[in-house]
Amino acid sequence: MERRDFLKTLFATTGGIIIGPSILAACGGTTATSSTGLIIGTPDLPVTLPLVGEPIADGLANEGGTIEILNWADYTNPEVIADFEKAFGVTVKQSIYDNEDAAIAKLRNGTLKPDLIIGMTDTALARLMAGELIQPLNHSYIPNKTNLITGLQNPYYDQGAQYTMAQFIYGNGIGYRRDRIDPSELASQGYDAMWNSAYSGKLAVTDSYRDIVSLALFQAGVTDVNTGDADILAAAKENLIRLRSATNPKVDVLSYQELPAGNRDIAYTWSGDILLAPFYLPEGTSADVLGFWYPEETITANDFLCIPKASSKPVAAHQFINYLLDNDVAAKNQSYVGYQPALTNVNAEALINAGAIPETLVDAVIDDAKYQAGKRLVSLTPETDALWSDVWTTFTAG
Amino acid sequence: MNKAARLWAALAAPGAFWLLFFFAVPFYAVACVAFGSIDPVFRDAIPQWNPLNWSFSEFNAVFSSVTSGPLRGVFIRTIVYVLTAMIISFAIGFPVAYYLARHAGKRRMLLLLLIIAPFWVNYLMRMLAWVNLLSPSGLFSRFVGIFGVQYNWLDGSPITVILGLVYGYIPFLILPLYATLERLDWRLVEAARDLGATSRQAFRVVTVPMAKAGVAAAAILIALPMFGDYYTNDLLSRSPKTEMLGNQIDYYINNSSQPQRGAVLVIMLSTLLLVALSWYLRSTSRVGKERVR
Repeated sequence: MERRDFLKTLFATTGGIIIGPSILAACGGTTATSSTGLIIGTPDLPVTLPLVGEPIADGLANEGGTIEILNWADYTNPEVIADFEKAFGVTVKQSIYDNEDAAIAKLRNGTLKPDLIIGMTDTALARLMAGELIQPLNHSYIPNKTNLITGLQNPYYDQGAQYTMAQFIYGNGIGYRRDRIDPSELASQGYDAMWNSAYSGKLAVTDSYRDIVSLALFQAGVTDVNTGDADILAAAKENLIRLRSATNPKVDVLSYQELPAGNRDIAYTWSGDILLAPFYLPEGTSADVLGFWYPEETITANDFLCIPKASSKPVAAHQFINYLLDNDVAAKNQSYVGYQPALTNVNAEALINAGAIPETLVDAVIDDAKYQAGKRLVSLTPETDALWSDVWTTFTAG
Repeated sequence: MNKAARLWAALAAPGAFWLLFFFAVPFYAVACVAFGSIDPVFRDAIPQWNPLNWSFSEFNAVFSSVTSGPLRGVFIRTIVYVLTAMIISFAIGFPVAYYLARHAGKRRMLLLLLIIAPFWVNYLMRMLAWVNLLSPSGLFSRFVGIFGVQYNWLDGSPITVILGLVYGYIPFLILPLYATLERLDWRLVEAARDLGATSRQAFRVVTVPMAKAGVAAAAILIALPMFGDYYTNDLLSRSPKTEMLGNQIDYYINNSSQPQRGAVLVIMLSTLLLVALSWYLRSTSRVGKERVR
């Protein structure tokens, strides 16, 4: 498909929000406009992405050799990789990324040429599509897709899962030390706990501007976590300044270590981080000291697996996707990564029975109902993103 | 210019050109990003290579934030932290360099080696080691706890960040100071004493002025990396209360969709440091002239 045809298809796509060149030109200066646009699905406006290219044919043998994976650090169990190598006669080589935007830039300029990408989110998908960087999947290689929770077999950001297969799932909430904060006291405070000066110096928030500005919105009773309303965001800014003054928070992504180590008592964090926390408890400390309060109104999210358009081993990449969606393999992967696979059978009961998590963390496990009820962070327009960024820098500037 | 001078100028030219090129080109590229735009789809910076088309909107926004917005506090805090760290570094480093230069005798090389040895270990690893030592259950915290000192060093404490900066950069202060002091003509100090100056007067009137160039060099050497430092704060604090300019640059460049703002901050910081560097060059050239006189 030519770029022009792609553009045409973009604007004819069903549902979703399309940020087109005309809108972008208005805010990007004279030379900032991209020749393409973004398709952003939302739960209310799911999108069917346009087909760019054809999926690989059915029934092909894998290519053998080395399959290159682009992955977050420590995001796949090395034993799972070794098992896959053995079972499918390939070698897996990993490249690590720590920033979606930087990874996409490297995919675009050809610095990275992986066969499979692990862990990108729907906010990146719009740009992967705009850059024509990924290829449609052939579902005949991925029978394990039926293991996914219902809400992610046909995700709003990629109806029909044409390009992506969900992998891990998580929601935002408050992780805390049950030996220092009474669970019922925390539940009665709800989001207000993050503004409670009693926890000053022992409290942390995740180093993620979208999540933390959303925290301020939720605490104020606002549930539109993609708002572009300047007044609402100004109020969120004041709210975060209050949080900062009251609690002197840490802003990092280390709560999965610091809570079990006892260096902090409470943290607004991703559920996946608290599921990982028991692995970091000092020897002899019961996992029951860890707790998680899951709010009624919160953010849920997932990441996914996808195959770059330039993959030279697409069959092996499909096989690896299918392998990772196997219930047993996913459970083994969870035992290392900590994050919860988005599979129906890897549920709270299974994780507790397997000893992967203590019962006190059962609220951190996301099921289909919780996923569906959660709010989603979607890509923002540049103007709105600048407003959010301004709230964040004011907060972090102290 | 005589023949020898011309020869040395010719030999120095490639190196000088190399340094100039690799200063000027990256700096120009940063300016082109700062005054350029953003691809709204991919959020990449689009440098504007033609200065005639530079847009100053982001510069104005950052400048306004620095003068009257949230970045004002970050700027002031960074300057205060760096100046405090420099004062502490001199208070610790000058006596060490002085001792090494004047009194260490045969043990000089061994002591120098011992001072430098810990710094062969990667900066990140050394800071991570401090994170362990300073954590509430860490060795250092438990040790000072014996004396009744209960302090959460990692609780977003400015003291910890400043001491971290001192620890991280002090060898870069001691070495040039030592090199300067070691080359001083100590007979001038002895002459001052012979003429009735007390040791304190001799130090203030003779040693310090003669060491001025070394002091300025050491100050510049540690101030430059301290101003841009973000990982010390990241590892030892990570609290908004101690946010430094480097942390804001890191955020804008690596985690936001406004990399131009990071580039603008780089330019502002570079300008500030350029002023400091000019002062250093002026002061060293004045010392040189005084010596010639």
